[in-house]
Amino acid sequence: MKTDTKLLMLIVVFGLIALAPLLITQESLLNIVIMTLYAALLGQAWNILGGYGGQVSFGHAAYFGTGAYTVAVLQVQFGINPWIGLAAGGLAAAAVGAFIGLCTFRYGLRGSYFALVTLAFAEVLRILSNSVDFTGAGVGLLIPLERSAANFQFLTKAGFFWVIWAMTLAAFLTVWKIGNSRFGAQLMAVRDNEDAARALGVNAFRVKMGAIMLSGFFSGLAGVFYAQYFLYLDPYIAYGAAISVESLLVPIIGGMGTLFGPLLGAAFLHGLSELSRAVIGDAPGISLVLYGVLLVIMVLFVPRGLAGLASHLRSGKRAVSQAEGGNDRA
Amino acid sequence: MADTKSTKTNSPGVRRREFLATGAAALGVGITGFPAVLRAQAAPVKIGLIHPVSGFIAFSGSQCRAGAEMAIADINAAGGIKSMGGAMIEAMLADSQGKPDIGAAEVTKMTEAGVHGIVAGYSSAISLATSQEAAKTNTPHVVDVGVSDSIVTRGLANTFRFSPGYGKVAEMAVSNLDTINKTAGSPAKTAMIVHEESLFGTGTAELLSKQLPGIGIEVVDVIKHANPTRDFTNIALQIKSKQPDLIIPANYYNEYVLLARTLRQQKIEAMGIYSVLGGAASNLQFVNEFPEAAELIMDCNHWYDPKSDLALARRKAAEAKGLIYTYEIFLAYNAVAFLADAIERAGSTEPDAINAAMASSTWDQHGMPYGPTKIVNGQNESAQPVNTQVQKGAIEVIYPAEFASAETVFPMKM
Repeated sequence: MKTDTKLLMLIVVFGLIALAPLLITQESLLNIVIMTLYAALLGQAWNILGGYGGQVSFGHAAYFGTGAYTVAVLQVQFGINPWIGLAAGGLAAAAVGAFIGLCTFRYGLRGSYFALVTLAFAEVLRILSNSVDFTGAGVGLLIPLERSAANFQFLTKAGFFWVIWAMTLAAFLTVWKIGNSRFGAQLMAVRDNEDAARALGVNAFRVKMGAIMLSGFFSGLAGVFYAQYFLYLDPYIAYGAAISVESLLVPIIGGMGTLFGPLLGAAFLHGLSELSRAVIGDAPGISLVLYGVLLVIMVLFVPRGLAGLASHLRSGKRAVSQAEGGNDRA
Repeated sequence: MADTKSTKTNSPGVRRREFLATGAAALGVGITGFPAVLRAQAAPVKIGLIHPVSGFIAFSGSQCRAGAEMAIADINAAGGIKSMGGAMIEAMLADSQGKPDIGAAEVTKMTEAGVHGIVAGYSSAISLATSQEAAKTNTPHVVDVGVSDSIVTRGLANTFRFSPGYGKVAEMAVSNLDTINKTAGSPAKTAMIVHEESLFGTGTAELLSKQLPGIGIEVVDVIKHANPTRDFTNIALQIKSKQPDLIIPANYYNEYVLLARTLRQQKIEAMGIYSVLGGAASNLQFVNEFPEAAELIMDCNHWYDPKSDLALARRKAAEAKGLIYTYEIFLAYNAVAFLADAIERAGSTEPDAINAAMASSTWDQHGMPYGPTKIVNGQNESAQPVNTQVQKGAIEVIYPAEFASAETVFPMKM
C-alpha cells in the first residue's frame, strides 16, 4: 500500500471512529469502543519496539504501570493536576524505557534473552510498587473521585473517548511517520538483520533506544488513561503480566510490524470477548474458554495476523485476476 | 351438563340471554380475578449480581452468587416486594472475571438495562470499581464482602456495606486476642504475620502491626507472599527460626490451606494460629478436608450467629442444595436481603428513595451477630466479626461471649 494511501486510510478510519460518540447513545457500547482504542494504543506502543524493531518484549507492563503510578502518585501524594500527570506519566515511562534499553541493548541482549529481561524488569517494578509506601504498597492507590474535565474525570464517557481517541491517533500517526522516515527504515533494517544493518552504518543501539523510549512513552500514556478511567491502581493491575500479554497479543493477532495491525487486533480481541460473553451468557468461564480456543485458531491459521490475512487475500485476488486476464489474452 | 353448556356457548347461535349471562360472568371474573393477575404481573425489581465467577477467586465469587440467588429465591417465595404489589426480584448476573475494569463495564451495561440495585463484587478492588461506576447514575450499590475501608469513605451516596470493613475487623481481632490471651494468663508475647500481597492482606497486616504492640504482643516479622503461592516451606522455616508465640495469617483460601498444612508438616509449634479474615480458618471445606491442620485454629472473621434459628435454617437450606456454607454465602445473601428490605420500605425503585431507605435501615432479619443495622456513611456500624475456633472438626464461635457456642482452647497443644 502506498504511503499516501495509508495516511488517507488512517484519517478515514479515525474519522469514522470519531463518529462513535455521535452515533452511539449507549454508554456500554461506547465503553467497548473506548476499551478497544485503549487496547489499540497499548498494542501500537508494543508494535513500535516489537513489530517494527523486532525486539520482542514480555514486560510492557513496566511502562504502563509507570505511567499509571506517575499520574496517581502525583495526584494523591502531591496534589498535582492529572493533565500535568499525563505528560509526566508518558515521560516517566519513556525514561524507564531508556533505562531498560541501556541495561539490555548496551550489552547486546537480543531475542529471548531480551524478552526475559523485560519480563524481569516488570516483575521487579511490581514487587517494588508492592513494597514502598508512596505507591500505597499492596493496598494500592485510590484516586479521589472529583468529576470534572479539569480534573481528567469526565461526567460522561464521551470525554474519555476523545482523550483516548486523540492518544491513539497520535500513536498511529507516529507509527505512520516511522514507516516513512529514515529512523523507521533503520529500525526495520535492525529488525531484519542487525549485523547487516550495522555493516551498512546503522547505529543499532541508538535506533533501538529511540524505539524503546517511544514505545514506553505510548504505553505510559495508556497507563495514565487507565488510572484516570478506573481511579484505582494496585501492583497487579499496574505491573501485572496481564498488561504485558495484552500489549503483545493485540499486534500479534492484528499483524506485527503493520500500521493497522494493532487496531485490527484490538477490535478483534474486544469484539470476540464481548461476543463470547453475549453468546455464552453468564455460564462461568465458558466465554473465556471460547475466547481462548478462537485465539489458538487465529494464531495457528493466521500467523501473520489479520493485516497479513487482508494483504494475503488482496494478493490472492490479484493473482486470480492476473490469471484470468492472462486467460482472456490467450 | 357442563359439556352441554359448553357446546351451547360455543355454538354459533348464541341466544341473547346466554350472551348477557356469559358477559356478566366474564365481567365478574374481570372485576374479582383480573386485579390478582395484574398484581402478579407487577414489574420485576432488577438486582444486578456482579461476582468473579471465573478467574483465580472463582470459588468465592461462585459462593457469593449462590448466596445472593438463594436470597432472591426466598424473597420471591415469600411474595416478593409487597409494597410494590408483590413485584418479583429478577437477578441480572455478570462475571467480573476478577478484574475491576470488567466489573465496572458490567455496571454500565446493567444500568442501561434498567437495574434497580447492584450487589457486588467480593474483592475490594472490584467493589471499588463497581460502586464508583454505579455512583455515576446514583444506582444503589451494596458491597457484599469487600473489606477495604476505602469503599465507604469516598462519600459515595449510593454505596453501602452490610458487613464490617477491615478496620473494624482488625480492631476487634486485636481486642479479642487481648482478652483471650489475658484470660489464659498472657502467655503470648510475640507474633508473626503472614499475609497475601493484595489490598485485603496488606491492609489487614498494616493495621495489626500497628495495634498488636498496644496489647503487649511484639510483631517479630511480617511476611508477604504472592497470589498464588504454592510452596510455603521457606515461609514455614522462617517462622520456625523466629519461634513466635502466635502465627497470624491473612490470606485467601488456597494459600491458607497450604500454609496451615506446611506448618503441621514442619512441626512448627506455636501457642496459637490466630487468623484475621482467614480464607480457610472459618471454612467448612478446609475443616472437613484437612481436619488435623485445621484443629484449634482461631479466626476473627465473618460468621453467623450460632444461636439464631434464622441463621441455622439458612445454613440447613444451603447445605440441602449441596453448598458449603462459607461466609461468602451468608454475606451475599444478607447484602441482597438488606437491599430488598430497603426497596420494600421505599415502595419504589427510585434510586434516591432506595438509598435513603438503606441509609435509615434498622433491619434485623439477618441472623448475624450484629443487632439491627445502623448505617453511618454507608457502613453498617453494627456489623462486627466474631472469633471462631475449630474444635473437633466443627467451627465454634468462642467470642464475644453472648454468641459463643464453645469455650476457647488457648494455648493450643500441637
